[in-house]
Order: sequence, then structure tokens, then C-alpha cells
Amino acid sequence: MRRQAQHMAPWAAYCLVGLGTLIMLAPFYFMFVFATHSRSEIFSLPPPMWFGDDLANNLAILTKRLPFWRNLGWSLYVGIASTLLTLLFCSMGGYAFAMFEFRFKKALFALVMGTMLLPSFMNMIPSFMIMDLLGWIDQPRALYIPGAASAFGIFLMRQFVGSAIPRELVEAARMDGCSELGIYARIVLPLLKPALGTLGLITFIASWNNFIGPLVVMRSPDMYTLPLALRSLQSPVDTEWGALMAGSAIATLPLIVLFVLCSKQLISGLTVGAVK
Amino acid sequence: MRLAARTLVGICTSVGLLAGPAAAQQSITVAAFPAVDEIVRAALPAWQQLHPTVAVKVVSRELNDHHTAMTTALSTAVYLPDVMALEVGYLGRFAQGAGLEDLARPPYELRRYQARFVPYAFEQASTPAGAVLAVPTDIGPGTLLYRQDLLAKAGLGEANLTGSWEGYVAAGVKIKAATGAYLLAHARDMKDILIRTGIQPGEGMYFDKDSRPLVTTARFVRAFELARAVRQQKLDARVTAWSSDWSEGFKRGGVATQMSGAWLAGHLNNWLAPSTRGLWRAAQLPEGAFAAYGGTFFAIPRLADAANKPLAWQFIQLMTLNRARQLAAFKSQDAFPALLETYDDAFFDEPLAFLGGQRARRDWRTAAGQIRAVQVHKQDAFAREVIDTELDKVLERGKAIDRALADAQRLLQQRALR
Amino acid sequence: MKHLRLSPRWAPYALLAPFLLLFLVFGLFPLAFSLYLSFQSWEPTSGLAAMHYVGLDNFAFALRDEWFWKSLANTGWLALASGLPQHLVAIPLASFLHLGFKRWRNAVVGAYFLPYITSSVAIAILFSSLFSTDYGLINLLLALLREVPLLGALLPAQAVDWLNDPDALKPAISMIVFWRYVGFNVVLYLAALQTIPPDLYEAATMDGAGRLQQFFHITLPSIRPMIFFGVTLSVIGGLQLFEEPFILTGGKGGSDQAGMTAAVYLYRNAFDFNDFGAASAMSWLLFLVVALLTWLTNRAFRPRTR
Repeated sequence: MRRQAQHMAPWAAYCLVGLGTLIMLAPFYFMFVFATHSRSEIFSLPPPMWFGDDLANNLAILTKRLPFWRNLGWSLYVGIASTLLTLLFCSMGGYAFAMFEFRFKKALFALVMGTMLLPSFMNMIPSFMIMDLLGWIDQPRALYIPGAASAFGIFLMRQFVGSAIPRELVEAARMDGCSELGIYARIVLPLLKPALGTLGLITFIASWNNFIGPLVVMRSPDMYTLPLALRSLQSPVDTEWGALMAGSAIATLPLIVLFVLCSKQLISGLTVGAVK
Repeated sequence: MRLAARTLVGICTSVGLLAGPAAAQQSITVAAFPAVDEIVRAALPAWQQLHPTVAVKVVSRELNDHHTAMTTALSTAVYLPDVMALEVGYLGRFAQGAGLEDLARPPYELRRYQARFVPYAFEQASTPAGAVLAVPTDIGPGTLLYRQDLLAKAGLGEANLTGSWEGYVAAGVKIKAATGAYLLAHARDMKDILIRTGIQPGEGMYFDKDSRPLVTTARFVRAFELARAVRQQKLDARVTAWSSDWSEGFKRGGVATQMSGAWLAGHLNNWLAPSTRGLWRAAQLPEGAFAAYGGTFFAIPRLADAANKPLAWQFIQLMTLNRARQLAAFKSQDAFPALLETYDDAFFDEPLAFLGGQRARRDWRTAAGQIRAVQVHKQDAFAREVIDTELDKVLERGKAIDRALADAQRLLQQRALR
Repeated sequence: MKHLRLSPRWAPYALLAPFLLLFLVFGLFPLAFSLYLSFQSWEPTSGLAAMHYVGLDNFAFALRDEWFWKSLANTGWLALASGLPQHLVAIPLASFLHLGFKRWRNAVVGAYFLPYITSSVAIAILFSSLFSTDYGLINLLLALLREVPLLGALLPAQAVDWLNDPDALKPAISMIVFWRYVGFNVVLYLAALQTIPPDLYEAATMDGAGRLQQFFHITLPSIRPMIFFGVTLSVIGGLQLFEEPFILTGGKGGSDQAGMTAAVYLYRNAFDFNDFGAASAMSWLLFLVVALLTWLTNRAFRPRTR
């Protein structure tokens, strides 16, 4: 009996995980289904369950009302730039916070964390003032440069460095005459791969879905990133829901590709070999 | 490295653009939201004929986002558009500040044209001090849309609905019994219209002119009582406007009437419930009530580029005082004109297939003339929220009406002078 | 070259410099601005010059405002109901995926992660359709489950009016938040699990430790820093919960304001009621609450060895 129960337990777990997978996927599936229907059909109940034939029409509305591909291009550009910058700055900073002792370290870290604690829309007006002062209104750099000072990124990196990088390894490298920047580049960075993958993924997604940032700084529709562009199709009374769904569905495709690329990095077990 | 290169290229091109011949052509920026942006774009050929060298840049955002972005722009006075579209629900808020140009003053002297606009819309943009902060472009005369077929099944006619509000609710009971259809989408709709009717001159909807809250007056008591009656007799479908349930209710004939702006007929026809064509009719609101549902205005930010203001003003005039433009917007986007001289157009007499061939635009034209402007107060948005919340408590939790209104009064008093 | 070398003493400053520069400009100024604003009365559409100093007035108003307290209570409820299950599910799930799944692991993780990348616009319309009272899939599913003998007794007897009934709105929002972020936490924990050397498990298995024992004695302690990280994010994110209630209630807060979180109320004060002073004061009061709870989380997870 006990043996049998032990055999059953993993199966029950597999089923549970499988069921969860379906629940997680369901809304996502509907997004793609809705993308192929007209807004009248979307606003029916029960909603359409299978793909329809309005995709081309929805895309036509989308590209007629928006410079959609241009918006997509800006989203990609800003997303990539912001990911690279954030990874660089936050891994450096997180490493410094985790591995070094220096004056005001605790206070500084608390201050950095503090910026995470205010709702981001409270920053709208002061951010707008800074961007205007720098002349960055309508410039993509207004989206990716400020984001690189990510308190979240610093926090993640500090936690990860603390748990994944043995202090002795750094000390040993230092004894061997390796320069500080050399230690960072040759020892710390490779060990941080899973964390970099995680942070990169999260940063790219955050940038991709960032809405308040572009709302504040982007003043011409040609410069809108996707969330702002897609939302400009929305109106309280007259929204092209089909086109909006098609746009949203297309907008998730790059993220799925990115996830597939990163997940190898994240969960491949390569790093474990590196630690040894 | 490549990043740096791209940035460098970016800087060079922007410098190049600044130094280039771009300065020769003037341009103005119009900030708007969906539907209005389409109307503005449709007017661009006409504008180009008047001003071939002046380009118009249309910046469109979602309604809420647009007004949020305008708040940000006004607060810092940079990157202001030359022309700003404002929805009537936000107009009061923007009119409280000092951010908009007073169009009653020279060089605009908008009051010269006052007689050409629907009176209530013009007054809505005027402050007690006599300033006029925006020009009305479209309005939303209120109407009662109802399902003729469901009424007939219950043995009722239009007169049963429109006599009095109590009669309207009684008709709802009969409709529910005969057809199973709800009288209206949400009991809140009942409250919304009743607090708009019977406002004394000089009063606002929620506050009098000395910022004293009015929410314990008979107007609110009756609105709450009727809303509660609707809920207690299960006459409302309990669905929020613009949700799937709402749209589905119309498609299936589950809701018999809807009070709204005249424009809703167009949306029902185009996408909300196209299959119900011919089954609907429009009537004036019950008990001789007249109310506005929505409306759009154009304004000029006070701190916008002074060099562009004359052009911005001409652009607004084209949109609001030009008969052809106003009618074009009416025909293409259901934007009911605020300009009175359009009202003799043959378009008003055309039968509407969706309403079973009824010539409803004539009624809406009549309604437009009867609506009265309501004095706005800067805490109106908050007051609306308080009243909605207290109504929820009455409907969902059985709170007594006098207690609910007394609580609302207290909350509004705390805020009134902030 | 040698003289250009960084000494360990200066290294942290050099490493932090680029981050700090950006942080000073883009992080600290908005913080200072909103602190300044919380002592001002300001009607933003009149421009910056319209500010005037009112001392502690905004704070006094916020503390006496019953809606502020109500929104805080809502926030606490939602943060707990959506945050706690995320971790209680994500940690076992991640370790199960880590040890159990081989070929399908990435696909499963991907599926759980998808909600996190779905745009909020799509979520708004999808869920208003899923939560529909009469035709929504969720109520349909509940109706099916009600037929199951034992389970049926636990479920509501009638179709739930998710979005209009104030008592159902909070669970509906919590479900969405859980759905959206559980995969995110799974990914975090999976990344942390990669750093545990497999020989630890091998040794434990040799010693005859079962899977449950391994989970409690190896897995949990090893990913402790990441749990601290994940829980802290949930505390901060939960207490600032904005997007999901905002889109689900059309930016209003829902019936009887059951879904009005502190962040939604702040937003409405600032942009709907044009009272930036009060909004700033409330955001600093919220700041204090979040800071206190973050500090408590920090204490709870402090390594015992130090």
C-alpha cells in the first residue's frame, strides 16, 4: 500500500501541474482567438472559442490607424537598449553592494530601495520636468537610460551575488593579481549568467509593457512604443477591440521568443558546472 | 559601441533637422482622443486649402491618458499642444485652474459667436466670472432608447415609459413579467439621470455656488429611492456599461431600454447589437427630463506658443463654426453638432433604419435646445464617486437612504473647500 | 597600466558610479519633488506657480480621510490574498519542476510565465469576459464543480456576480494577480535552484532522506535569499497594487470601492480629483507602511548565522 501511495504521489503532482498549465494558458489562448474576430463577436457571450476569419481585417485597421510597425520597431529598440544598459549597471552595482564594505553602504542601499516604495505615477510630473530640462522629450533615450538605474535590478543582483558567488573565489582571484574590473568581468559576470538571464528577461518585459514612461515623454504618435500606441485605439465608447487584440497578440510574440532564448540560460544547469 | 554610434547618428540627424529648412514651414499641434482625432484628420484637406503652408500634427491618446497627459503638460507648461480637445467630464476640472486661455477676451471675443452655439454647451464652458475657456464642438443630447418589440409584447406603448419616472418603473415590472427582459442595465443609470433633473438655477449637480453640498435634498432622495425600487423589483441587469455582458444584453433582447446620448444608436447599429436593427425606437427622456451625455470642446492652453495662437484659433473656428465640417463630423462619427446653423440640414430629417425608420434626429435636435447647463464644481468628480459608492451600499448592503446621503454629505463637506 | 588599477577600497565606488549617477538624477529628484509636494496645495492645471505651502495640512487631511483608511484596508486584504498563495505555490512547484521534469520543463515554465507577459489591455477584456455572471467561463466551471459531491458544498450555490458584488470583487482581483505573477516567482525560484550543487541531494539520498526531507533541509535553506527577494517584491508590489484593480474596475475602484487599493485612490486623487498635495501626502504615508513591512520582512529573513 505504502509503495503504491508513493507511486501515486508524483502522478497526482504531474496532473496538478498539467491542470495549472492549462489554466495559465487559457487567457492567453483567448487573446489569439480574439485577435481573429470582429469586435461584435468578441463582445458576445459566451465569447468565441475557436479562431475566426477577421485577422486580416483587424490588421488592416491596426495599420491604418497606427504606424504600427514603426511603434513595434521603437519598442524593440528601447527594449534592447534598456536591457543591455540595465544588465551592465545593475550587475556592477549589485556586485559592489554584495561583496564590498564601504561607507554609507547601508544608508545608500536603503535609499535605493526607497525609490521602489513610491507608486510610479507619482513621478510623472517630476520626470517630465527632468526630461524637458535634458531635452529628451520624444527621444527614445528618455525611456532606456533612466530605467537602467533600476532599484529592482540592484536588489536582484545583490541577492544573487550573495548566494551564488563564493567570497573565497573573489579573494583568491585578488591574491592571484587579478584587477578589480578583471574579477568583475571574468569571474563575477559568468557566474551571474542565470541572474543576468532573469534580470534581462524581466527588464525587457518591463520595458516592452512600460506604459507610464512613454505616456510622459513621448509627444508624437510616430515615437510611441506599443502599449501607448495600442491604447490610443481605445475609447470609452468606440474601440476596435479586434484590432487591439491583434496588436496585443503580435506584441507578445517577441516576448515569447525571448523567453525561449532565455529559459535555456535560466534553467539549464550550466551554471552549476561553473561553480564547481 | 553600436549603441553609442546609433545615439550619435540620432543626435546628428536631429541637429541637422533643426538647422535645415524646416523652419520655413509652420505647424500646429492638436492633442485629441479617439473619434475626435478622426474628425480632426478629416478636416485637414479643408485646412490645407485655407493654410497651405501650415501643417497640422494630430497627437492622439486614449481618453483618460489624453487628459492625464494634458494635466502633466499644463502643470509644467512645456510641450503644450496648440489646440487641446477636452471631454465635457474633464472640462470642469480643467476650467478650475488658470491653464486655459480666456476666449471671451480679445483677440478671440468668442461671445460674438455665442448665439450660433447650442446654449447649454456654450454656458458649460463659461465660468461664473464670465470667462469662456473652450468652444463646444459636439454634444450628446440625452435620449431614451427602447425596444419597440418588447414593449408591444407587454402591451405597452411609448407613453407608458415617458409619462413619469414612477410610470417608467411600473412599465418595467410589466415588461419583466411579459418578456423576462430587464428594464435597464443598472440601477445606477436611474440615479444618474434623476440627480440631473430639477436642478435649480445657480445650483450645481452636487454643490451650490457657495460649495455647500446638496446631496441630502429631495432630488437625491428621489433618485436613490427610484434606483432602489428598480433593484428591489429586480428590474436591472446589474451590468456595467461597455462590458461584454452589457453588449450581450442588447443582442439577446435582455434589456428593454437604455438612457444615453443620441450617439449610442450609432454604436448599437455599428457593432454593439447590429442584429437588432429595426427593433429599437428613441423617445425623449421620461417626465420631460433633458440631459446631456458627453460632449467635446476645443481649448487653447494659455502658455502655449504665442506665435501659433492665431493659427490655433483659426483651426478651432474651422472645426466649430464651419457648417460643412460640423455636418461632416455628424455624418461620419455621430458627433452631434454644437453649431445651431447646421440644424436646418436635410440630414436631420432622414429616417434611421436602426430605429425602424424613425426620424429621431429631429427629437434630438429639440432636446439639444432644452438642456440646461449645470454649474460645475471642482469636486464634482469626487462627489460623483461618493454618491456612486453610497448608492452601492444602499443597493448591495441594504443601507438606509437617509443614512447613506447623510454620510455622503459629511464626506463632501470635508472636501468641498480643499 | 599598473597605476590605473583600482584598489579594492575604491572599486565599489567605481562599480557603483554609473548606477549612482542615473539614480541621483532620475530616482532621487522625483522622490524629493513628491516630498516637497506633500506640503503644498497644488491644482496642477494652473502650472507650477500655483503651488502654495500648507504645512502638514495634507497629512492631517489624509489621516482623517475615511476613504484613505478604507483603501489601506483593501490593499492589505488584497496583498495578503494574492501574495501569500503565489509563494506557497511557486516554491514547491519550482522545486518539483527542478527535480521532476526533464524534457517538458521549459515548456511548462513557459506556460506559467505567459500571464506575466500578457499586456494589461488584453487582460482587461479577457477577464471581463471570463468573469461574466451568466456566461463567463469561471462561473461555468464553478457550476460543473458544484456537481462534485464533497466539493459542491464548499462552493457558492448561485452564479457569482464577480464584478458587481463587492464581496466577490476582491477574490476576483486576487485571482488575477495570482495568475499573473505566480509564474514570475517560479522563474525566480528555478534560477535560484540552479545554484544548489546536485551532490548535496545525492548525499542526502545516500543518507536515506526522502523528498520531503530534502525539500525542507536542503532546498528551502538554499534558496532563502531568493525567497527573501521574492517575498519583498510581493510585499512592495502587493501594497502598491494598481494595474489589476484599475483595469478590472474601469479605473474607478469597483462596487462599494471594494477594489480601490491605496495606489488606485492615490491616482484618482492626483489625476481625477486634481489634488496632488493630498495624493503626495498619502503616497508618503503608504511609503511608511511599505517601508515598515519591508523592514519586517528583512528581519524575518535575516541569516541566523550572523
